[in-house]
Amino acid sequence: MSRAPSPAVRADVLATSALSGRKRLRDALLTLVGLALLALLIAFIDAEGTTRFKQACALFAIWGVAAISLNLINGTTGILSLGHHGFMLVGGYTTALLTLPEIRRQQIAESARSQMNDFTLGLSLNNGLRALGLEALTTPETLWIRFLIALFIGGLVAALFGLLVGIPSLRLRGDYLAIVTFGFGEIIRLLASTSLLGPFTNGSLGYTGVPAQIGRSLWWTFGFLALTVFVMTKFKTSSYGRALQGIREDEIAAEAMGVNLAYHKVLAFALSAFFAGVAGGLYTSWLSGARLDYFLFTLTFFFLVAISVGGTGSYTGVLLGTALVVFVRQYGDPLEQVYPLTTWFAAAGVLVLLAAAGALVLRSRRRLRPRVPPLVLVVGAVGLAALLFALVAPSFGLLQGSFQAFGMRAILLALLLLTIMIFRPEGIMGRAEFSWAWLLREHRDRPSDEERAQDAWLTNPELNPDRTAALRNLREPDPQAERRDDQKGAR
Amino acid sequence: MIGGLLALIIGRVAYLIVGTGNYTLAFFVGALLSALQLGSLYALIALGYTMVYGIIRLINFAHGEVFMVGAFTSFFLFANTPYSLPWALFAAALAAAGLMYAVNLWRGKLQDPVVLGAGALGFVGFTLALSAASLNWIAAMLLAMLITGVVGITLDRVAYRPLRGAPRISLLITAIAMSFFLQNFGLLAFTRNQTPYRPATSWTQFLQFPLAGNTVFTSRMVILIPLVTLVLVVALTLFVNRTRLGKAMRASAQDPEVAQMMGINVNRVIATTFFLGSTLAAAAGVLWGLNFGSLNQPAIFGLLPGLKAFAAAVIGGIGSLPGAVIGGLLLGFLENFVPAMFAGTTEFKDTFAFFLLIVILLIRPSGIIGEDLSEKV
Repeated sequence: MSRAPSPAVRADVLATSALSGRKRLRDALLTLVGLALLALLIAFIDAEGTTRFKQACALFAIWGVAAISLNLINGTTGILSLGHHGFMLVGGYTTALLTLPEIRRQQIAESARSQMNDFTLGLSLNNGLRALGLEALTTPETLWIRFLIALFIGGLVAALFGLLVGIPSLRLRGDYLAIVTFGFGEIIRLLASTSLLGPFTNGSLGYTGVPAQIGRSLWWTFGFLALTVFVMTKFKTSSYGRALQGIREDEIAAEAMGVNLAYHKVLAFALSAFFAGVAGGLYTSWLSGARLDYFLFTLTFFFLVAISVGGTGSYTGVLLGTALVVFVRQYGDPLEQVYPLTTWFAAAGVLVLLAAAGALVLRSRRRLRPRVPPLVLVVGAVGLAALLFALVAPSFGLLQGSFQAFGMRAILLALLLLTIMIFRPEGIMGRAEFSWAWLLREHRDRPSDEERAQDAWLTNPELNPDRTAALRNLREPDPQAERRDDQKGAR
Repeated sequence: MIGGLLALIIGRVAYLIVGTGNYTLAFFVGALLSALQLGSLYALIALGYTMVYGIIRLINFAHGEVFMVGAFTSFFLFANTPYSLPWALFAAALAAAGLMYAVNLWRGKLQDPVVLGAGALGFVGFTLALSAASLNWIAAMLLAMLITGVVGITLDRVAYRPLRGAPRISLLITAIAMSFFLQNFGLLAFTRNQTPYRPATSWTQFLQFPLAGNTVFTSRMVILIPLVTLVLVVALTLFVNRTRLGKAMRASAQDPEVAQMMGINVNRVIATTFFLGSTLAAAAGVLWGLNFGSLNQPAIFGLLPGLKAFAAAVIGGIGSLPGAVIGGLLLGFLENFVPAMFAGTTEFKDTFAFFLLIVILLIRPSGIIGEDLSEKV
């Protein structure tokens, strides 16, 4: 099933080609100013923000790294991968183990000893970890170096797993591949809970004590986010990135154009897994511990929501979506508290009424068939009835008691994802990226001043006497007209 | 490779029986019976996956959650009698609307308030009758199957039908969204009522019989589960092979567009498919509860069984009914026999399904008896 490239993609291509030197300079300056403003904002939040808000921002940066890395597979390459929590788990545990003091690591291995024989214990990687020489870096001044090295190694180990998962992607497509990546993620999680890996993971109990000064610091986390965005945007416009986009649009055509499918797909998986591993390391540092239930499928679901809502393939959109998900998650507590039943009924009634009213307005203003189906009225009546019932019930002694809606946040996110998928499958941003030209309302698919001047020269008979010849060279043959001629001939 | 694996397994069995003498015939018969139990449950769930995939080429990620809804609905039906009035009214309205929708669907244009009224009255009468006595579990099972079937139709109507022409990836993402919605909705709706699943039935009692000098320990569920599965599978096969709607289903699975041109209402066929699949999943949920004696927390209850059943459907050959049954049984045997034969593999039990899935997909992507589904250019 092939799709024509969206107008956004074409506009993007034109935008890069029609960039004059002056505008390039202006964009670079604007970018610098923007980055400086962002740095000021981060400094302000770091100094003035509440702990809760700072935590939300750090989580945004960490999940942003993960969501952007997932976007490389799901958005740019067009492969649905659902095993990202597995990569994060690998990177997270590796980083956590490498930053833990050796004594603590020894304790974890000891607590697993009861289930293990000496042979398995002898295989323990503790000696190998010691050989890395990271134990020298334990003072607070040098710990960050150790953390960076650990993050890098964690990313590399996750990338190895990415290679492993990428290999089935060469033979499988679509839904099968999605389920296999999911299976890999779950296998990693289930294996980590077994006693085989007990010395490293401490079973499903996990452990605490991972140094948190990088994971919770806004500068570090936003630094990693900036690094990821930089690498990924560069990658997207490189020849590799364009090959991946070609794979997304049409695999068979891309292969016919000389794209090595196997190499590029596995490369996408490995790079994505690397950044997912880094995000996992940051995540364990942020939570100052590693536990199996930090890495449930829920994580991948959240990233999927972020990507789909923001725009599949657009890094700006992914960051928007991540911000939405993180803030719903962090500030959604009021949704899950205990309220009287009447409040719930009234809220449900109001929501249903609002939905019905929205449908009424949208349906009656439609250009084609502006007709209100009776179902909308029925739904509205049900909402009104619920609202009235909630108002009247207490005086009859009904609806007494209260109710706590566990899981309301996830329900909201799921409904949001559903709505986006039905009404705007490409997400808020589509495949468009943020650009200064867009912000300044410049349309780059229109001719620039330079091109206009050229056209004027070409069409000016005094300056250019042979203009018909020049124009003939300029003007491309109209494919529509040709097709029309063909059809006439066929008839 | 397969020959080597078979040699390994047969050699291991021979060694265990002859060499160590630890593994008696009775032990193997017991493992066989429990494998049959678990495999039948997987097969029942896998049928829903395979039917839906056969027609709209969608992995219904939310099917495991439909199974959860079925189990919890039946639990709610027999554990919560007598119902309080608001609940009875709410359930009656819901069931009546669902009934009207279902009748509407099968009989063409029937916007009939009479059906709505009859459904509401019937359900109110039913709930009142139930308030007098505790509900028989078979009635609970049938009613739960009906309600879950309507849930399945609603799922299709709300989440999948608006996306009929969309790329399959968006459908899959929608299915994941619905799965999450149902998980958390189950948490919200059922979690306060979570108690052990023990209806008044003698089927859950223990059963033991002597065999070759030893005793086989099992429960009476070992008769019930395969029996119910057999009945349901035979009924489903008869439905698909003998009725007009079944014929329409097979035609739609062949080619939905041509079926539409031949005058088949494909949307109705798909809704029927969802209804039947959800009904079977609900039956599996009830049997699961009876077998294990309790229901897990809703957020994780449907996840692993659903995924394993999906793996079973793919292993057997997705899109084919006997394939789903074979795959389910195979998975049940694997999960019971590998831990019994190879010491220390018990904690890897849950990963077998995925490993087998990956191996099967790499060796024979169309499954054991499936047709070739390779993508056309």
